[in-house]
Order: sequence, then structure tokens, then C-alpha cells
Amino acid sequence: MKFRSHRRPWLAVVLAALLAFTLAAAGCGDDDDDGGGGDQTSAGGGGGGGTIKVGILSDCEGAFGAFYEPDIAGAQVPLINRGAKAKNPKKPSDGVEGAKIAGKNIDIVGYGCADDTADKAIEETRRLMEQEDADILVGPLSGDEGIAVANYAKEHPDKTFVNGTSGAQDTTLKVKAPNFFRYNTDGAQWSAGLGDYAYNELGWRTAAIVGDDYSFPYTSLAGFVAEFCAIGGDVTKRVWPPLNEKDYSSFISQIPEDVDGLYVGVGGSGLISFIKQYEQQRGKIDTKKMMGNVFWNDPLVLKEVGNRLMGGVTSGPTAGDSTEPSAKQYVGEIKKSYPEIAPLASSVFVYNYYNAMEGLAQALESVDGNISGGQKELQNALKDVQLDAAYGQIELDDNRQAIADNYVQKVVPDKTGDKVPDVQTISKIPSVDQTFGGFFSADTPAPDRENPTCEKKTPPSWVGKAEPVSFGS
Amino acid sequence: MSFQYVSSMRLPLRRPRAATASPTAEALPGTHHWGKVLGGAAAAAVLGWLAVKAAGNGKQFVTVTLNGLTLAALYFVVASGFTLIFGLMRVVNMAHGSLYLLGGYLAFEMQESWFQKDSGGLNLSLSAGGSSGTEYDLLGWLVPLVLASLFIGLLGVAIQQLFLRWNQGQDLRQALITIAIGVILADQMLAHFGGIAKDIKTPASWPETVTLPGDITYGFFRLVIVTGSALLIGLLLWLMIKRTRFGLIVRAGVDDRQMVSAIGINIPLVFAGAFFIGAMLAGFGGVLGGTMIALEPGEDTSFLLASLIVVIIGGMGSLGGAAIGALALGLVDAYADVYLIFGDTDLTNYSILVTFALLVAVLAVRPLGLFGRPA
Amino acid sequence: MTAVARGRLGLPSLIALAVVALVLVLAPLIFSDYFVSVILTKALWLGIAAASLIFLSSYGGMVSLAQVGLYGIAGFTMGNLVAADGGVAAAWTPWAAVAGGVVVATLVGLLFGAIASRSEGIYFLMITLAFGVMVYYFWGQVTQLSGFGGVNNVDLPALVGDPGKDPAPLFYVSLAAGVLVLVGVRYLARTPFGLALQGIRDEPARMRALGYNVTLHRALAFGVGALIAAVAGILSVWYNRRISPGSISLQQTIDVLVIAVIGGLYRLEGAWIGALTFALIDNYSREWTPEIGNVLGPERFNTLIGVIFLVIVLISPGGLVGIWEQGRQRFRGALGGGRTRAGPAAPEAPPVQEPLEPGPVQQ
Repeated sequence: MKFRSHRRPWLAVVLAALLAFTLAAAGCGDDDDDGGGGDQTSAGGGGGGGTIKVGILSDCEGAFGAFYEPDIAGAQVPLINRGAKAKNPKKPSDGVEGAKIAGKNIDIVGYGCADDTADKAIEETRRLMEQEDADILVGPLSGDEGIAVANYAKEHPDKTFVNGTSGAQDTTLKVKAPNFFRYNTDGAQWSAGLGDYAYNELGWRTAAIVGDDYSFPYTSLAGFVAEFCAIGGDVTKRVWPPLNEKDYSSFISQIPEDVDGLYVGVGGSGLISFIKQYEQQRGKIDTKKMMGNVFWNDPLVLKEVGNRLMGGVTSGPTAGDSTEPSAKQYVGEIKKSYPEIAPLASSVFVYNYYNAMEGLAQALESVDGNISGGQKELQNALKDVQLDAAYGQIELDDNRQAIADNYVQKVVPDKTGDKVPDVQTISKIPSVDQTFGGFFSADTPAPDRENPTCEKKTPPSWVGKAEPVSFGS
Repeated sequence: MSFQYVSSMRLPLRRPRAATASPTAEALPGTHHWGKVLGGAAAAAVLGWLAVKAAGNGKQFVTVTLNGLTLAALYFVVASGFTLIFGLMRVVNMAHGSLYLLGGYLAFEMQESWFQKDSGGLNLSLSAGGSSGTEYDLLGWLVPLVLASLFIGLLGVAIQQLFLRWNQGQDLRQALITIAIGVILADQMLAHFGGIAKDIKTPASWPETVTLPGDITYGFFRLVIVTGSALLIGLLLWLMIKRTRFGLIVRAGVDDRQMVSAIGINIPLVFAGAFFIGAMLAGFGGVLGGTMIALEPGEDTSFLLASLIVVIIGGMGSLGGAAIGALALGLVDAYADVYLIFGDTDLTNYSILVTFALLVAVLAVRPLGLFGRPA
Repeated sequence: MTAVARGRLGLPSLIALAVVALVLVLAPLIFSDYFVSVILTKALWLGIAAASLIFLSSYGGMVSLAQVGLYGIAGFTMGNLVAADGGVAAAWTPWAAVAGGVVVATLVGLLFGAIASRSEGIYFLMITLAFGVMVYYFWGQVTQLSGFGGVNNVDLPALVGDPGKDPAPLFYVSLAAGVLVLVGVRYLARTPFGLALQGIRDEPARMRALGYNVTLHRALAFGVGALIAAVAGILSVWYNRRISPGSISLQQTIDVLVIAVIGGLYRLEGAWIGALTFALIDNYSREWTPEIGNVLGPERFNTLIGVIFLVIVLISPGGLVGIWEQGRQRFRGALGGGRTRAGPAAPEAPPVQEPLEPGPVQQ
């Protein structure tokens, strides 16, 4: 204390602050240099200018941090198909060189590294769009992030946003940003066909649902509830273990034993723990009485728990066992560009980021790379893109939300030799739209713990129209 | 089962030289009294309500109780290491949760790479690990358990020697140092083990479940291994503290640190030893937790928080307090998850807040926890 | 006592101060919009949050990890009271909602303070950590108030305008708030209450013997800390235009602690230096972080900030301010007195470590 008394704190503070500001100013100056007034370039001279700047936003921290490289790989393969070269086939985030679309250089200005929260996603979006001056953003990854980015898009009509793989319903159904495009179906759409299957194939009349307590499982389970209840089933109990709760045992105790079935929407990371503890309390899983949401068909998840889920039915927008030429070509492209990502090709993460960039590339080609005039021409073209994607046609509705096929699948023993259980596609649900035939609209409450309520209604158009599929037999 | 668990854990509570008066009582006369009355009334209400629920569905009640007890056992293993380190050194090891998670990941890695009969598998550099179908023998679980625990113990000693030894006594600075270590470890674990949950497999020779009287099935690992480990560790720690010279020094250190160093005991060695055991228990808990629940990013902070709550309720530095705190936390957690339903009002979504209500209630009455004593 | 020392400023200090003030006032003209918003404005409100922590630690000897929770209470309360997507959306006028948020956060702070103020040192740290996490879970679980995806598109007062289009108004508001906090705390420190608080920090037993109500002073100080945190919470919501439980997670608690430690736990001004440093590293490290295998790289921001945090705690508990002062003193010593340098700093004896242990261990 003595020792400090004679000093003048202000001087130190002021000088340190100055130092920091100098540093800051230097950093700022830098970015002005290479930014080179990017705004003017993209707004005015875009037609004649040579470069289109694209940012890719994914998560490198948080629950989905493991999908950072696969996401980037998926997004870059369409560029590699158009002549670019991966700088490092083992590490997609090292970037690509020589990317060109419609004669324009495509410059990937940066990779956003968010952590599953809306705040960080917006911070990273701002960094890519405002500091790195990107014209177009591809991303983000998860539900809340998607809603936040779509809201950001609304405030920046001169830039264009193509969703990565986020699947919250509100992003397109309610926010409706005119410059936000989503070529993937949402979490509820990924459950399409399961209510029908449960009611008509497995004979369920009552069901319980369990899912983690946040927006994605709400959406995912909403798809099941909407369909199952519309046909006439009843959901008698909804169990929502709080986020970060990993000891599911007490929540399993809450699940009634007198229902015909249980629909599990526990996320990728909690699933192992959930299944383990379920078996310890209720014995081996009877897959006639349990179904799972889209996580059950993800290769990374199957690798950890697949053997315990054998025979279980799930659904999703991809069909890993597809032998269609389009699917084979897609997997081949991934394998050629990023061999290590190939086993994940049918993961929604890789597939959706791929389609996002592919949709963008096709739109850019159709407008000849012209992003002048506030990108309006490009945005109009994006609306009209119809993708002949690996697992079926994708087109956008009036809210710029994908309408696409969904697949009902079963977990089966490994056939491909990678020691990871496979999924076998049972049926295809054609042209699933976001509203489930009017069940969801901008006026219905967003999916949450209690919504949608269980009501018998006119079932979605695809009920009873599932097309049986049998790949490779 | 539950009764035995409680009674054996309570033993270390009997301190030979129990503090004569709590400082709280001195500072705030009267608090104690109404606190006791209120606490008693609340406890009676809760017990009555549980009895009603138990009568309604006895089988569910037993299962939920077991959930609580087994979770409490795991909490105790982890928190006992935390409280041991604090009791002797007044070091709040905020990296304790990271040591827990790292212990689990190390055991997972060893099990996968040394004991997997059938190698190959999906060879992804993105995520370590093999397929879910492999079976392991007993050694495939025990060897990783022992090695991972020992390694974490040594890592704990390394942290203590490198970062904490020379600023002994500056407890806040030490807490900040361990927070920094925790942040770094968490990020490095995310980089190396990815975000997808991993689990350590039990030996194939162990049954999945055991059947209790009344046709109640319950997980073998949770009920027998985790609870058994907790009892064993509690017993060993108790013996160590009561019957060994090391324990004598630790006890003396808890009571009066200055005096212990003044009488010329080799304090640095004792400190290193205590840190080794404390960290090892975190690693051991990580292997148990990784087998019982799962390993994933975020579990480090969950278990750090659980340890903090356990020792704040029980009283920092008290082994018996850790046992009581763990039981309180585990049982309250389990019951609140299921029984917070009053008629049509389902409050189970808010169960996690009950845990904190418990914490605040204890602190309001006893700022140093149930068995805590001032530094 | 340093914190209240107001040594007469020398000419160089005055000039430096004037330059900083000028740079700050003219910042929106000098720097790009992005920089003003994402670096400066963010550093200002993060700095206020850290200042609430430093206020408690430097004047009250209490290191609190509940400050992020408290600013979350202010932010969420305000978010619910104005028109917004999610939450109650009570559609009050923005300023009434600000008052509501600040009042609620301060009251909760007083309540927390009443419970926590009976504990000291490391116990206090852990108890406030539990409070912080409890607040996080409260907003996470009570989704009627937090909206399932957080409270979005919060209505802003006209004074702030639209930060997305023009960041200058929010920057000036934050700057004014920061200056107000700085001046207010310095004023408070010289009131009888502030002096008693500092006495309690240094000699709690003696102050108690003198008849001061130690716990009451601590609890009130905690309420003041909550008030400062609430200001940060309001600004953070205006800055992000949203708040969700993720905004006040444990990660954010640790970030604010890191900022306070980088700046220096015993010097109020350090809060903003720490915040500015943090914002700069956060934003620019992705470009210059070298890639070392899987260990370090653009994605490993937390490792980088963790190492910086560790190094600062190890070499200078006084943070950057402390490092600067240590260096300057050596320099002075070498020039002026002709004294030999103290030799390589023995790790156990950095002169400014004392503030980390503000109060002697209670007897």
C-alpha cells in the first residue's frame, strides 16, 4: 500500500490506453486497405468487377463444434466441381484456390466460427460481412443462430444469405427475410412421415415424446406431433430434460409405461447417455415402441450408439444407402475432394452446406455473376433455383424455404464394411412442405414445450402416400 | 442400501475436536434458531409430500431414489477430491471439472486403442474412436481406470508444483490460475475429442441390469460399481485421515495450518500428496462418470459446479460434509425432476432451480455450509 | 487506498489524457463503422460489466462472479418490458423499461448481497458463481420470460437510433455511461460509505469492533455493483438487439472475469483497458494466430485467451496496468536513483500482488 501511494495512476492508465488505441487503429487501418472500399465494389461495379466475396459461417465451438470441417467441406465441393482446388484435402478450412463462377473469382473471405449461441453467430456474421466485406454469406449451422442471422439479413437487404443447415421453423416461416434463402428443409420437415409410420405401420395410438429443452427438439418433435395427432393419435406426455442435464435417469422415470410408443428427440450428444440409462431402467430397447428423430441417421451418432438402436425407425432428408446416380455422383465428388469427409457425405451437415453453395452457384451462373444493384437480380435468381440434389429435387416456396423429399429409414447392421451400422431407407415422403398442409403458419405459435397442441385435423397431403423404396436390392 | 450408504458416510463427521461455536452464531445471534425451525418445517413438508408420491407409485419412487443415490455417489467421489485439496491447502481448484473430464477421455482413449479386439472401423480423423459394437473384457475397463486416475493424479501434482506451490496462501490468485488452466484444458479437449459424446464401455461380463425385490430392474453399473466405489473411497479416505500419519497432518492442517508448518513437518511433500489424491479422485470420477453417463464438452463445468455446490452445502474441507452435500444434491435433483407436479401444474422443467434454492437456503442459515468451519 | 489517490497530474499525463479523450470523442469520424461498433462500443459495455466486478474487488475486497448474471437480469427484464419478439413483450416505452431493468437487477443484487456478504474471500467467489449460474438457469428454464430462442429485435429508444445503420449514437451513449460509472465510483469512494467500505476491505475485524455493520456495508456495496452491472446489461441488449440465456452463460462470466483480470483487479480504469484488449484479440486473433497442429489456430480462441489470462495472473496480478507500472518503476529506478535493478523478478514477490489479497484472513 505504501509503495503505491506516491504514484499517479492516471498517467499509467492513459498511456496504456493510448498504446491500445494505437494498436487498434493500426488494425483498423489494415482492414481499410485490403477492404479497399468493398462496399462500393459490390454495389456499383459488381457487374464488371472480378471478385465476389463469400463468407462461410459454421460452429467450431459448442455442441456442434465437431461439424466445423465437414460443413466447410460440403460448402466448398461445389466450388471444386467448378475448377477450384482444395489447398489441403485433409483440412477444408485451409480454403480453396482458383474458385470461379460465371467467370468471376470467388474469394472465400473467411470462416465464421460460432458456438451455437445467437450472440456469437451475429458477431461472426458481422465480422465476415462488415469487416471482411463479404457480399454473400453461407450459413449458419443451428436453430437459434439461423433466426438471428435471418433477422440480421432483414437489416442488410443489399447482401445475400444462404442458410447452412440451421433448421428452426421460425427462420423462414416467421422472420421471412427477403434475402435469406434456405435450400434445406427444417427440423419439423425432417420428421415428416414418422407420424404416419407410427400410426399406420406400428399401430401406435398413444405416444410420449422426449427431447432436450430448446428450440431444435421442439421443432423436430413438432413435426411428429402435427402428423401423428392429425391422423388421430394422441400424445399423452411431453418430457423435456433441461439443457446440460446429462443424467437422464430421472426423466426416464417420468416417461409413462402405458403408452404405445416413445418418440425420442434427444440430441446427438445426449443420445448415448439417454439410451444407456433407458436400457438400465426399462431393459433392452424395443424398436417397435421407440422411434428417433433425424439424429438417428447421422453417421457420427450411429457410430457411437447404432448397435443399441438396431431396427429403430427414423427419418431425415438424406438417404445414405441411395443407389440413385445423383447420390452416387454426390458421394463421389465429396470423396474426390475431401476423402476423409466421405463417410459423412449423407450427414445433413455436409449435404445441406453442399446444397447451399450449389444453389448459390447456380443462381450466380444464371445471372452471369452480376451482383450489382443491391444483388436484387441474384436474389430473384436464387428464388427460382431448382436443385437436382443428391437425394431428390429441391425447390423454394414463397418464404424462400425448401420443399423437398424426406426419407423414413431403419437402422440396420453394417453392410459397407466400415463397422458402423447403416440406415436402410424404407420409404420416400415426396415434396414435404414447411406448413404440413396448413398445420403450421406464421400465425401458429412457434413450437415449444406445449405447442403444437395435439389435434385431429386434415392430415398433411403425404400421409398414406409414402412411396416404398428399396435401394440396392 | 441407502441407509448403509448414509451411515457409513457419516462416520468421518465425528470430529474429535469439534468447533465449540460456529462463527455464524456469534455474528448473528438468533439466526440459528429460526433457521432450525424453518428448516425443520420445510423438511417435514417435503418428506410428507414424498411419502404421498411414494404411496402413489412405489416402484417409480424406488427407481427415482436410486437415481438420486447413485448420482450422489458419483458426486461424492468427485467432490471428495475437491474438498480434500481445499481442506489442507485452501486451494479452490477450479480446474477440478477439467481433470474429471480429461480422466474420462483418457480412459476412453486407452480402451479404444488398446483393448479393441477388432480394429479398423470408421477411420475418421475428425473424431477419435471406433464403433459401438465392440465388446471389452474386465481388463479393458480396469486398466484404463487405474492408468487414467494415476495420470490425472500426476497432472494434478504437476499443476500444483508449477503454478500453485509458490503462491501458497493467495487463495484468490490460485483460483484464477486454475480457472485459466480449466479454460485451456476445455478448449484443448474440444479440439482433440470433438463435440460428439463418447462413452466408456462396461466389461461384457458384467450384467446390464440387476433385479431388486419387487421386480425393480436397475442398472448394475450405477447401483453396484458406482455406489460401491463411493463407499470404498469414503472408507479409505476416512481410514487415511483417521489412521495414518498423513491423515494426521491433513487434519492438523485443516485446523491450523500455521502451526503445522511451524512444527517442521515437510509440508511441501504433504501438499503434493494431497493434490495427487484429490486430482486422482477427479480422474477416477471421470472414468466412472464416462461409463455411467457420457463424456462431452460441458461436462467439465457441470461437475465443477456440482462439486462446488456439494462442498458449499456440506462445508468446505469436510469429508462428511461432502457426503451429506452429495446426498442432498443427488436426491433433491432426482426427486425434483419427477415430483414437481402439483395437480395439473407441471413444474419439472424448473427442477434445476430447486437445487439452487437448496443452496441459497443452506447459505442463508449457515454461511460456511453445514459442517464448514472458518479458515 | 490507491484507488482514491488523486495525485496531481503532470503535463505529459494531461496531454495523454486529452489525446485519449479527443480520440474517443472523434472515434466515429476516425474509425470505420464496424470498428466503432464491434470493437469500441463492445469494449465500452464489457468494460462497464468488468468495472462492476473491479469496483467490488478493489473497494470491497469481494471478487464476484455474479456480475454477468446480474446484468442478464437487467437485460432480460428490459427486453421483456419493451416491444420485442419473444418474452412478455409488454411494450413499455424503452426508457421506462430501462428503469425497470435497472431497479429489478439492483434489488436482486441487494438480495444476493445480503446472503453472500456474510462470506469472505474464496467462499464469496464460489457463492457468487453459484448465483450467476442460477440466474442463467432461471432464464434458460422460465421460457415464458426468455422466449424459446431468446428475446429478439428489442425496441430501442430513439436516442440510440439503429446501431446497424449508424453505430455512433450507441457509441456515445456507452461512452457517456462509462464516464458516468467511472466518475460515480470515484465520487462514491470518497463518501463516508466508500471510506467505510475500504476500511472493511482492509480490516474487517477492526471495523466491526468500531461499530460498523460489516455485512450491511458489503451487501449495499453489492447492490451498487449490481447497479453498475445493470447499466452494462442494458447496453449489451441495445448492442446485440437481443438477449438469450446463452448471452449470460458461464462462458460469458469467465470472459468478464478474464477482462477484469487482464485490466487489473484493483484499478477501475483497467476494466476498459481489459475490455478493449479482449475485444481486439477476439476480433483479430483469427487472422494472426499461428496454426500449430490441433493445439493452436484460428479456431482455438479460448486456448489463446486462456494462455494470456494465465500468463497475466502468473506474472502480474495487477493486470496490464500492473505490468505497465512495474516496468515504469524499474525504468525510473534505473534512470534516477542509479539503483541496481532488483534482478529477475522472483515469482513470489511481484510488488503489486497484494491487492489480490485485500483483506487479511479472518482470525
